[in-house]
Amino acid sequence: MIIEETLIDLETDGTTKEEVIRHLAELAQSQGRIQDIEDYIKAVLHRETEYSTAMGFGIAIPHGKTAAVTEPFLCFAKVRSIDWKALDGGLVDLVFMIGVPENAGNEHLKILASISRKLMKEEFRSGLREAGSSSELMQFLLNSDLGIG
Amino acid sequence: MKILAVTACPTGIAHTYMAAEAIEDAAKKMGYEVKVETRGSVGVENELTDAEIKEADAIILACDTAVPMERFAGKKVLSISVSEALKSTDKLIERALNASVYAAADLSDAVASIKEQRAAQRTGVYKHLMNGVSFMIPFVVAGGIAIALSFIFGYNAFEQEGTLAAYLMGMGGGAGAFGLMIPILAGYIAYSIADRPGLAPGMIGGAVAVQLNAGFLGALVAGFLAGYIVYAIKKYIKLPKTLQGIMPVLIIPVLGSISTGLILFYLIGKPVAMINQTMNDFLTGMSGANAIILGLILGLMMALDMGGPVNKAAYAFGTGTLAAGAGSSIMAAVMAAGMVPPLGLALATVLFKNKFTVAEKEAGKAAWVLGASFITEGAIPFAAADPLRVIPSIMIGSAIAGALSMAFNATLSVPHGGIFVFFAVENWPLYILAIAIGTVVTGLIIGTIKKKVEE
Repeated sequence: MIIEETLIDLETDGTTKEEVIRHLAELAQSQGRIQDIEDYIKAVLHRETEYSTAMGFGIAIPHGKTAAVTEPFLCFAKVRSIDWKALDGGLVDLVFMIGVPENAGNEHLKILASISRKLMKEEFRSGLREAGSSSELMQFLLNSDLGIG
Repeated sequence: MKILAVTACPTGIAHTYMAAEAIEDAAKKMGYEVKVETRGSVGVENELTDAEIKEADAIILACDTAVPMERFAGKKVLSISVSEALKSTDKLIERALNASVYAAADLSDAVASIKEQRAAQRTGVYKHLMNGVSFMIPFVVAGGIAIALSFIFGYNAFEQEGTLAAYLMGMGGGAGAFGLMIPILAGYIAYSIADRPGLAPGMIGGAVAVQLNAGFLGALVAGFLAGYIVYAIKKYIKLPKTLQGIMPVLIIPVLGSISTGLILFYLIGKPVAMINQTMNDFLTGMSGANAIILGLILGLMMALDMGGPVNKAAYAFGTGTLAAGAGSSIMAAVMAAGMVPPLGLALATVLFKNKFTVAEKEAGKAAWVLGASFITEGAIPFAAADPLRVIPSIMIGSAIAGALSMAFNATLSVPHGGIFVFFAVENWPLYILAIAIGTVVTGLIIGTIKKKVEE
């Protein structure tokens, strides 16, 4: 599955964008989803320089498409309010981090597309914020009609 | 009211779809009909049909990458960046309905505004080059490997008709992939400049470059020439409305191709032939010169234009020194120098990962095989993408390999084959050393002077 409980961290300590990205990348690496972590982080940070992936509503979706990723994944973290240079100027408290290999299958990309669309919906965002544990959050995602699992 | 939109972001994973959702919501909130075409990594979804475009009241382009524009001629088009679409969604619909009407001739403006959104270092010329190169790489890799496979049966096994080696050469060589490579490069440079109508004049221009033996440098000229000619035709030739239909099917292909082709024949045909002749004469005059200097010069020539007039002169000079059964030190130097460019670039992609795009790193893996097989063309994608840095680097490495091969007095008795004919090399351990030194020098120079490239 593209996301699982082990890829969710509701109590992330990082205080900067870079720390959070590294923390989540380590999480993904520990689950065998990334081969070359530095390469992946570089791709993610580079994408951030094009323009911030914090799209407003307190959510950022850093992402990287690189050969360093062995299996597509989605990480989720709740963070202490971080300045992510959001398009709306607000702080970020939810982070979805995405990793996709160069030759990702359409099935995974479609899930990521449907999550991206869902994030524009208020109900979905408040559902994410209300989840109290990793398993609750996982359950919420499974019930959100995203095509996971 | 009916609103259409197209969204596309750099990686095509997330923001393409967010912007689509935002625009859909905004339009529905106002009670308008809406459809959004997404151009993400899944490919083009929800593609707008001509009928829909005809009916639409306004079109929103929230794109950070180039998208086909011609279909929107005559419609109100609002062209913005993806981030802008996400930031101020509410006003988008109103802005779109008040947007100015897009005319096909204004392509330059739309493209220019899209380009401004991009990172500053990504200038137009670079983008066009990379587009051509990315389409060419599979041809170089597939063709080169097919040729290398044919060498397994012997460097000249393909000359025997009806054999597997001959079929492999047929697919990979000048009648197959290597013959297509140059037109593809030129065609997709032109496509990047002038959109779809640029493709045919560009590829035909590339085919002319092949006939003129102008090599990949000729293809670059052909691609840019065709691209800007078509671009100008679209901008300056105005036909009455009733005749506009013949622009894409008749005027652009015919006028674009013929003018590109004729300019190439008249403008670069003679100089290319002259360069080749001059180089031949020059080398003949060098015959008695110092062997090491001759190796150095042959090395520079082999790497300069890879398949162009200078390279061909050096290679012909090398094969001309072959006498049946006897080894030639000049032929050995020519082959060493021809093996170095792909090998040096392959080494650079391993040592300096952050200076090459993902596609180039993949091409780098194949370049090991191509270089080892004396298929110098393996270096062309790199040289075409960044000629001013790559060409000098490979020239220096090849010159060193050529000079060392001469200094070590290595000789070769066959005209081609790379490592498959090392059995025909006299003094082969030192010969390999010469190639290795040239490879390392090329790799290090490229790594040092090339700029960081990231996708």
